[in-house]
Amino acid sequence: MFHWLEKHPFFFAVGVFVTIAFAGLIEILPNFAQASRPVIGTAPYSTLELAGRHVYIKNSCNACHSQLVRPFKSETDRYGHYSLSGEYAYDRPFLWGSKRTGPDLMRVGNYRTTDWHENHMKDPASVVPGSIMPAYKWMFTNNADVDTAYAEQLTVANAFSVPYNEPVPMKDGSTKIVKMGKNLAEARALALAEAKEIVADMKDQDVKDAVARGEIPEIVAIIAYMNSLK
Amino acid sequence: MNKLYLWGIIFAAVMLLLTYLSVGGSEGGLNDDIVNMLAVAGAVALVIITVFVVIKYVRQMQTDTADGELVDHSWDGIGEYKNSVPMGWAIMFLGTMIWGMWYFTIGYPVNAYSQIGEYNEDTKAHNEKFEAKYADITGERLVDMGESVFLAECKVCHGLQADGIDGKAANLNVRLEEKVVKHAIINGANNHLLGTEMPMPDRNGLFNANTNEMITDAEIDLVSKYVANGMTGAGADVFEGVCASCHGADGKGMEYVAPNIAEFTPELVVNVLNHGKKGAIGAMPKFDKLNDKQKEAVGAYITSISSK
Repeated sequence: MFHWLEKHPFFFAVGVFVTIAFAGLIEILPNFAQASRPVIGTAPYSTLELAGRHVYIKNSCNACHSQLVRPFKSETDRYGHYSLSGEYAYDRPFLWGSKRTGPDLMRVGNYRTTDWHENHMKDPASVVPGSIMPAYKWMFTNNADVDTAYAEQLTVANAFSVPYNEPVPMKDGSTKIVKMGKNLAEARALALAEAKEIVADMKDQDVKDAVARGEIPEIVAIIAYMNSLK
Repeated sequence: MNKLYLWGIIFAAVMLLLTYLSVGGSEGGLNDDIVNMLAVAGAVALVIITVFVVIKYVRQMQTDTADGELVDHSWDGIGEYKNSVPMGWAIMFLGTMIWGMWYFTIGYPVNAYSQIGEYNEDTKAHNEKFEAKYADITGERLVDMGESVFLAECKVCHGLQADGIDGKAANLNVRLEEKVVKHAIINGANNHLLGTEMPMPDRNGLFNANTNEMITDAEIDLVSKYVANGMTGAGADVFEGVCASCHGADGKGMEYVAPNIAEFTPELVVNVLNHGKKGAIGAMPKFDKLNDKQKEAVGAYITSISSK
């Protein structure tokens, strides 16, 4: 075999490439697989949170806000622990962003609340003087697309075995079960139940009325998503 | 003169001329810049050395003849002389092997760069510096530090003036607003203001010792105004009958029993920062990412602005 390879330089080159590529793969792949596994405390998105994530993407929030805390003291002081790759395990696609016109939102759920987001989305300059962020008033009237969120949940649960309806370990040692409806009606009911918890902390009467009617305005979904970013 | 040397000198001269033209022709030229001059000197040296080393080996190829003892074996007609290993090469070879072993076992694993490692070192150094610099900070300076932390972390909700931006968050210039007191009396509260679980009962658990009855709506309005006005005005008797048994006659609270509702104290603020709170206005998240000194400073700042 080696004698044959010596006489066929092309196949010899292919052999060298395969050998070196194999060495590279066994060094890179196990680490990569380990790092992309969800870290403890990372749970899949619920239906409402996913709908909020779609609102986030639809309005290009990622054009001005990153979701990636770099390991620098100045950043961890401001935003919290630096990001780990496993924390993005359920992000499809990830929303790292490439420019911070506004602050990073990787862990915004830790230090902002539902009613703050409500005030801020309605009129950013009212809580942050001099803010250049535009108001997102239409989020208070447009309804979130729960059906698409459910479709995505079903897809990722089937294609990537995202652990819905299964206990997921959390940082304090407990477990959390993120529910996914068995059918569309159940998924809508779950999202509405979650939306009711969010609007309990909100002040806008129109939004409260809409949820009482069984609708879910986009603002409720995006706040649910913001609160889930921890 | 040997033709080879002649060509070498001509070639070197042409190269030097090109170097001179290229540098002199470019914008600024040498420009009296020491770095430019060093670079040109380096180029000149390189040209001269290259030309004469090449000449030496070309001449050697032209004149050298092979001699020495051949080994017995022939590799497809190619022979090999018996030469001893050159000492310099052998030393380098062994040295490389020893260095390789060191690098493999100690050098790389111990000295390898890691981004997280650098972050940890940075953070450690910063924290040590912070602790050393601010270990004994008190009074005005502590309040100043508190203000700077407030402006970085708290102002987005409580506002630059700490007035809560039209009811979006608590107004920290006063200890309690009327609606906050009222909400706590009607719904009870459990905000870890003492640092531990210590619930205040809702209105069904608030007994007026003076009238021997549960607290009434009118009394709630009255005592809420009384507390919000800084423990002055009408309602003192209700406070005495209902609240004083836990919060003290002066409203300054009791250790392990009830928090101070007459004024802010640094301890109270630190407990809110550690646990967050939820009440009439909304929810405040916990800010336990601040270090102990920063929390103390925020406590001192809020105590100072509310007591003005």
